[in-house]
Amino acid sequence: MKLYEYEGKLLFKKVGIRVPKGVVTKEPIKWDGKAVVKAQLLEGARGKRGLVKVTDDVYSTILEMRAQGIGTFLVEEFIPHTREIYLSTMMDRESGNPMIVASPFGGINIEESKEVRTFKIPLDRRVMRFDVEAVEKYLGVRGLETVLRGLLDLVLTYDAELAEINPLAVTEEGLLALDSKVILDDNALYRHEDIISELGRKEESDSYVELDGDIGIIGNGAGLTMATMDLVKIMGGSPANFLDVGGGADAEKIAKSILRVGNNSKVKKIVVNIFGGITRCDDVARGIIEAYKQIGKPIFVRLTGTNEEEGKRILQTYGIKTYEDAISAIGDALRM
Amino acid sequence: MNSNTKVLVQGITGKEGSFHTSLMLKYGTKIVAGVSPGKGGSKLNGVPVYDTVAEAAKEHEIDASIIFVPAKYAPEAVYEAVDSGVKLVVIITEHIPVVEVAKFVRYAKVRGTRIVGPNCPGLIAPGESLIGILPSKYFNRGMVGIVSRSGTLTYEVASILRQYGQSTVIGIGGDPIIGTPMQEAVLDFQDDPETEAIVVIGEIGGTMEERVAQLKKAGKITKPVVAYIAGMTAPREKRMGHAGAVVYMGMGTFESKVNAFREAGIPLAKTPYEVKDLIEKVLRK
Repeated sequence: MKLYEYEGKLLFKKVGIRVPKGVVTKEPIKWDGKAVVKAQLLEGARGKRGLVKVTDDVYSTILEMRAQGIGTFLVEEFIPHTREIYLSTMMDRESGNPMIVASPFGGINIEESKEVRTFKIPLDRRVMRFDVEAVEKYLGVRGLETVLRGLLDLVLTYDAELAEINPLAVTEEGLLALDSKVILDDNALYRHEDIISELGRKEESDSYVELDGDIGIIGNGAGLTMATMDLVKIMGGSPANFLDVGGGADAEKIAKSILRVGNNSKVKKIVVNIFGGITRCDDVARGIIEAYKQIGKPIFVRLTGTNEEEGKRILQTYGIKTYEDAISAIGDALRM
Repeated sequence: MNSNTKVLVQGITGKEGSFHTSLMLKYGTKIVAGVSPGKGGSKLNGVPVYDTVAEAAKEHEIDASIIFVPAKYAPEAVYEAVDSGVKLVVIITEHIPVVEVAKFVRYAKVRGTRIVGPNCPGLIAPGESLIGILPSKYFNRGMVGIVSRSGTLTYEVASILRQYGQSTVIGIGGDPIIGTPMQEAVLDFQDDPETEAIVVIGEIGGTMEERVAQLKKAGKITKPVVAYIAGMTAPREKRMGHAGAVVYMGMGTFESKVNAFREAGIPLAKTPYEVKDLIEKVLRK
């Protein structure tokens, strides 16, 4: 679950990482002196889109951003600072240890930066003085202990998949996180119900990912669904979404998934790719029929596996063609 | 893993556990016991059920355990199996927090237990044994070893490769941290006399595919390897169904894996269907 900047900063405060004073608002507000107005969006690159502004007139800045369709704003005191650095933490997938990622240059796109170092902290122990020393030496900044402990705490106690401060401002009064990016491990949300409700969020439980194109994609299994999406692209189409219905989906789940994809106005056609193992093709077919009646968009179904014959028979009754492999299903979807 | 491997099922009385126990028994897997706290003393499909792994281990020789326990309790089940000295633990359970996985993977490793998974379909040695939930009818005995991060895509590729058959198929799981990373499974296939070619089914995220490429390049893998990677069109920082299919900070992108395979001379199938043509080519050489 990706958190908004202000939500991430709330967690920062809980683990002792300092952030600028600020308020979250949906309405234009009055503010004395210089401030930063930041649109609260889950997508990045807000700066480039003019959605982060330093201003003396908070009220009109919010009105301007509102005109661009922004609903929630974080207004913060302006923090004069001499340097910006980059720090983040996540689990290192290879070693299974938490790691600190650091760069002496903050506010940059970390993917493109050449000056990045990682520091692994063994899972069996906490951040120690000598870890802090090593990171401080590399960055040329003192006083990092609280920040590093806090970041590790976010991974190990709060189950953050990624906790990023970009940038961390170096000021005369200490270090302040000017931005936050926190993504929580969806699998661990059940043990943080207090935080989820404090944020007013709900646990997200499906795998839906929105994409740019017009072909809706539904499959069973993450790999197979990704492969279907990639095939659409290779064959000259453009996928509108990714939706993995998971293992053993019943008719109801299939119907719900098709409605979700089909009701997206940009979706023109839907490709369904099912390789039934635990999932039964007759259940899938019943789910498809249920939803098909409601959405009325063309649907191309590749169906194979358990109870395949029955599934195909059901679909044929309603005039929905089925295919033996994904390539021919996608081929027809793109042609018709 | 063979027809003599003695298997314990943890979570045997649950819906998934009991269903797949009957399928595994039907396939010929030697399931010697099951564990389900509070259900000790009963029997399921003729398999004796115990309250704890230790109790089961006292009565039976156990080579491997398969875990169907729900995510909240699965880590405890893993520790229990490791503490009873089980040498292979296959975790089918999905949705275990990654920090918990990291902890038990390490715990098992230092105690000499091999973990497969979590969030995996398990293993099948066609005609010999099934320790997992793979639908057996898509697999047949043969010469290709398959290692995969995916479930259904593996069944698809196995059926596409029907004419060659498979030596062993291992679904290593879709989580960011797993007990048996892809490169370890590939090294096992290198040592396996029945495997003549290796198929690697990867996806975006992490660096396991890159590790396989390095091993190939370094000459540590001499058998032919063919690869497919899912997620070419996946956006950054989005989880694509699997907890592990996500790219953070530009690590483990599709391009990175494609380049690694190219440098190592590992042919990459553009579609799952193309795997067959590539296997045909490498086996003809």
